[in-house]
Amino acid sequence: MSKAMTRPADTQTIPVSFTLNGRLQEIDVEPNELLLDIVRDRLGLTGAKRSCDVEVCGACTLLVDGRPVSACTTLAFEVRGRSVMTIEGLAADDGKLHPLQEAFIEHGGFQCGFCTPGMLLASKALLDENPDPTEEELKHFMHGNLCRCTGYKKIIESIMAAAKLMRGNSA
Amino acid sequence: MQFEKQIEILAPREKVWKFIWDIDRFIACVPGCKDAKTVEEGKRYSATMVEKVGPFKVEFPTTIEVLEREELSHIKAQASGADNKIGSRMKIALDVNLREEGNNTVVSFIAGVDILGKLAALGHGIIKRKADQVLDEFAQAVKTTLEGDK
Amino acid sequence: MLKRFRLEEPESAAEVSELLGRFGDSAKIYAGGTELLLAMKEGLIHYERLINVKRLKGLGEVAGNNGTIKIGALCTHRQLETSSLLQEKLPSLVKLEHNVANVRVRQAGSIGGNLCFAEPHADPGTLLIALGAKMVAEKTSGKREISAEDFFVDAYETSLQADELLTEICLPTPGANSRSAYLKFGYLERPSVGVAVALTLNGGTVNDVKIAVGCAGPAPKRVAEAEALLNGKSKDEAVRLLPQAGAIAGRASQAMSDLHGAQDYKEHIVGVLLKRAFNSIVS
Repeated sequence: MSKAMTRPADTQTIPVSFTLNGRLQEIDVEPNELLLDIVRDRLGLTGAKRSCDVEVCGACTLLVDGRPVSACTTLAFEVRGRSVMTIEGLAADDGKLHPLQEAFIEHGGFQCGFCTPGMLLASKALLDENPDPTEEELKHFMHGNLCRCTGYKKIIESIMAAAKLMRGNSA
Repeated sequence: MQFEKQIEILAPREKVWKFIWDIDRFIACVPGCKDAKTVEEGKRYSATMVEKVGPFKVEFPTTIEVLEREELSHIKAQASGADNKIGSRMKIALDVNLREEGNNTVVSFIAGVDILGKLAALGHGIIKRKADQVLDEFAQAVKTTLEGDK
Repeated sequence: MLKRFRLEEPESAAEVSELLGRFGDSAKIYAGGTELLLAMKEGLIHYERLINVKRLKGLGEVAGNNGTIKIGALCTHRQLETSSLLQEKLPSLVKLEHNVANVRVRQAGSIGGNLCFAEPHADPGTLLIALGAKMVAEKTSGKREISAEDFFVDAYETSLQADELLTEICLPTPGANSRSAYLKFGYLERPSVGVAVALTLNGGTVNDVKIAVGCAGPAPKRVAEAEALLNGKSKDEAVRLLPQAGAIAGRASQAMSDLHGAQDYKEHIVGVLLKRAFNSIVS
């Protein structure tokens, strides 16, 4: 039974019209619903993960208007009128991978893959804002995305390689 | 968490002892404590403890059991409660001693306070500080009430 | 999961104040939610109503005029971190904001929310005290200014009244000889010890010394006694007195033993950070 059918009659709902991975979405949410739950459970996009649930690990990272947010601690109604990108929307519509995705594959930037959607979206936000970051700037920006597998070295290499590619130089 | 407190009350020991068992007045000295009830005279009591740290509030329906009692000198008691809304439990082991000093009474007590569950997320330091404040206020209230009682 | 609540979306500070007055303890101001929602998710607090203040106009800007810098309470940490005005006039604040939590928290969290939630392990309050900031609080019947050092009362407790809304933080624009620094220490998610120093350097003399300590105790504190020790001294004399000032500041921090460290450890770190912060701005 869907949640909508079990709501009491006087429940407050908020209409949320937003762009999700380039497509217009219109849903009604209750004020207390979290963005991560809407994205995963209602919209079926399970790339974003609930991991620490306290905004620390970055596994739930989504981009809202191009900026990284912790979906686990963002109320869903906050995306009304905004554009949201999940990992499922990073590759092009025709399936061509984003340079970051290519770089992560080529340079071994992931092992189990659990943190990877968050890593990719956060690094996209970084490079969109700062196309030529120093390693210090990269580490500082990515400080809130944790990985238990790789030890980070390959992640940094992947992002730097993607940055170079995206700036128009050969990898 | 262990707390040791000592307070000198300008009142004779008999008066202090009597006051302790006057449950309504005694419980009124514990900040945040209300609705004191006698379940079994001298043995078991109940009360509700409400404490607040900033926006965080707990309400512990509490049972107090008297474990040992030595007339005019010593009480050993245990208080326990649970706040199911928050998912926290509280246990206090209390050891109270009364000693005569001339016409006055020195009350010393050791309180072993354990807070379990979600509330611990607030941080041991904050809780310890709060518990310390509550015990200080309690001791002061007992003193003030008894000394004001002429 | 969050328990159900009603969302109110007022458009003015007066409306916010009216709602707070009307609903009392059962309502809470909601801005970025980076502290509030965590506590609510944990089940530690619950409100029947959240008052979304992000629709209020004019509270999300950094502006400087007539010798005063005004920071709107709704400015996010990220805004402050990237503000060119602040980078020019208050680089110590920019550096502090740059190092708050992580980029996602900085993106959503507001400076106002940070100050009003008054979590002990937080950075901004400490530096704002040393910079002589004033908080502007509004309610239906008017406005008032609260100096930063009087704003923080206890852990999770400010001197705001129940129906007041923090709208702005005002700072005197530092003069040419003004210097300030904030250093923090910690290895957990939140900072364990924070020390802020501000002063003016006139030739070889330090004046207008302001020292504040935070994170170690329940609320950030100004340490007037340590300030008096260093004020008006030559640079070298002041540096010689740093260990003494550090010990005073350590005690003033009301350090609590907890998972972040023992009381004496934190007090010691206060002294270390004071020494480093002071040296960084006088040399």
